[in-house]
Amino acid sequence: MGIAGNGRSRSGGNVLGCMAALALGVFGLSPVQRLWLGSPQLVSIQEIPEMGDSCFRPSQDFSVAPRQEPSLLAAFQTTPVYAQDNLGTEDVTRPPARNIRDTAPTFSSVGVDAVRNEVYLQDSNRWSIRVFSRLDNAKPGEPPTEPRRVISGPTSDVQFNSCVWVDPGSGDIYTVENDTGDSIVVFANRATGDAEPLRKLKVTHRAQSMTIDDATGELFLSVQYPPQVAVYSKTASGDAKPIRLIEGPKTRFSDVHGIAIDTKNKLLYVNNWGNVSDYKVAGSGHFEPPSISVYPTTADGDTAPLRVIQGAKTQLDWPGAMSVDPDTGDLYVANDMGQSILVFRRTDRGDVVPARVVKGPRTHLSYPAGVFVDARNKELWASNLGNSTATVYPLTSDGDVAPLRMIRGAEENKQSLKFGKTEALAYDSKREEILVPN
Amino acid sequence: MHGFAYDAPHDEIVVMSPLAQAVLTFRGGANGEEPPIRVIQGPHTQIQGTAYGANAIVTVDPVNGEIYVPVVPNAILVFDRNASGDATPKRVLNGGSINISGQTGVSVDPVHNLLLVNGRNAMYLFDRTASGDAQPKAVIQGPRSQMGSVHEFQVTSKGWLIAAGGDFAGGTGFVGAWSIDDKGDVAPRWRIPVQQLTGYVPYSIVLDPVHQEMMMAAAGRSNRIRPPNGIMNTVITFSWPEIF
Repeated sequence: MGIAGNGRSRSGGNVLGCMAALALGVFGLSPVQRLWLGSPQLVSIQEIPEMGDSCFRPSQDFSVAPRQEPSLLAAFQTTPVYAQDNLGTEDVTRPPARNIRDTAPTFSSVGVDAVRNEVYLQDSNRWSIRVFSRLDNAKPGEPPTEPRRVISGPTSDVQFNSCVWVDPGSGDIYTVENDTGDSIVVFANRATGDAEPLRKLKVTHRAQSMTIDDATGELFLSVQYPPQVAVYSKTASGDAKPIRLIEGPKTRFSDVHGIAIDTKNKLLYVNNWGNVSDYKVAGSGHFEPPSISVYPTTADGDTAPLRVIQGAKTQLDWPGAMSVDPDTGDLYVANDMGQSILVFRRTDRGDVVPARVVKGPRTHLSYPAGVFVDARNKELWASNLGNSTATVYPLTSDGDVAPLRMIRGAEENKQSLKFGKTEALAYDSKREEILVPN
Repeated sequence: MHGFAYDAPHDEIVVMSPLAQAVLTFRGGANGEEPPIRVIQGPHTQIQGTAYGANAIVTVDPVNGEIYVPVVPNAILVFDRNASGDATPKRVLNGGSINISGQTGVSVDPVHNLLLVNGRNAMYLFDRTASGDAQPKAVIQGPRSQMGSVHEFQVTSKGWLIAAGGDFAGGTGFVGAWSIDDKGDVAPRWRIPVQQLTGYVPYSIVLDPVHQEMMMAAAGRSNRIRPPNGIMNTVITFSWPEIF
């Protein structure tokens, strides 16, 4: 039986006993099998059955057992490897055996320029912004959609960006870097290739999403952790500081992602994943259900929300980008893990059922992280991390609705690896599976 | 998520929840939105990160049934692997001059009874059960060693320490094999010049002894370290029988 919950597993003698059990189980292999097995590894911890004195006693036998070469037991001994310093370094230059990677773009965010009829997709796999015609449509059987322009390269400073936003007036392209760059970079509308940005604004690490209130000239930026909303002038650059900062325990911010503003009703929407802690206080972490909290757009400092949408009925599950229909005040939410677009009414609060839910196999939604309301054309856009597409629907869609059009960054029916940033790794030796977090 | 571990004997996945100061343990075969079977979280845990790095790293010693969590200010917390809820660490190792944070790489070698801590371009080797103000048994560090830093690294059962080295910004990043008996400024015995071969530098390294392979997770590091093929996320596997 396994020893989970058995305090004996922590005694040294029992540990050796466990190894012995493993060793005994492998000694019978042929040399060929041993060669294939490489070197010993711990794959199981088993209670040693009652065997009386016939059982190998680790506290004594480990040091005196006769050598059986080659043996697994020998390999587990604490005998040091040979002194290697005087042997020099040998370069092993054989090429990789395998390489897991996604060659297609991974679309984390979508912005629409209804004035110029263009769609901007943020690609976090190839560090690019891809610009398409708003009316592009990759039909079944057709190749991936060719972008009109691609902004990418070291001069452009586009990295693991999580948001793209286009100023409808000037056409300037804003993009938010989430991890390795900690900046908002702004490009001229016609920028292409390894373009020089118009300006860069240094922002707090883990900046996630942004929007602009053209009436006030303010840029609202959500920061994941420590959670906050920073408000800048839309023309800020360099080390400019925020005009104001919304943060603190009264805000109920937690692992903030999407942000949107309703300029007509002067409301600020912020969504929260519910991972809560104060980094200054050890052990202060806890979990809460995801939520959307609502503030006046003039909020400053530690401001309590006007209301909060939260609870099982909301279906919120890793909410990503958000966008408001300026005509109705409806709030559209890219519901990443929920594989849906949720639509809430302007006055919704508490544990409320969404007014509409776009979801189902006909939608082609797959881990949608980006959403954009094109009010001029009455269309709803989503960018999908899971299949390298952007899909567009009638704005009033509800249920399992087929997209009007689709931009495809890869072949049809692509299932993306969904790599966000491959920074950690584990190997499941039991199933012979590689585990990669995102 | 910057650090997690698979516990083969118990068939469990141990994950750091970086922004909630929590260690989550899942079934090895967990799939979809499955809840963890244990959660370590609460004021007695002493888990604390920074504003920038939060709590990123966790590792597990399946043999001795322990979970290791590097934290600020400058410590490594050791929990029983069965701990759940607002658990108190069973040991705490103070980092001294290492300046441990929630992003410091930590690995346990239960075969040779070592705790290894990957500080900035240095590898500190402690007794596995070191606690309090214990000093490292050895430090591998210096220009000949070219020791670098990664989130996850491992020791083979033969005692080869597999970690990262070289100058990533200069294009010479490698995965190297040092002996656990090395001390001071010692060059690696073997190295795979991964950056020269692939354009990528490792964030994390794991081993598959059965197939005698080393795997590394790699991603774009900054604007200065960009893989030439333009693909920023990858997992690359190398055959490396020499170390097994």
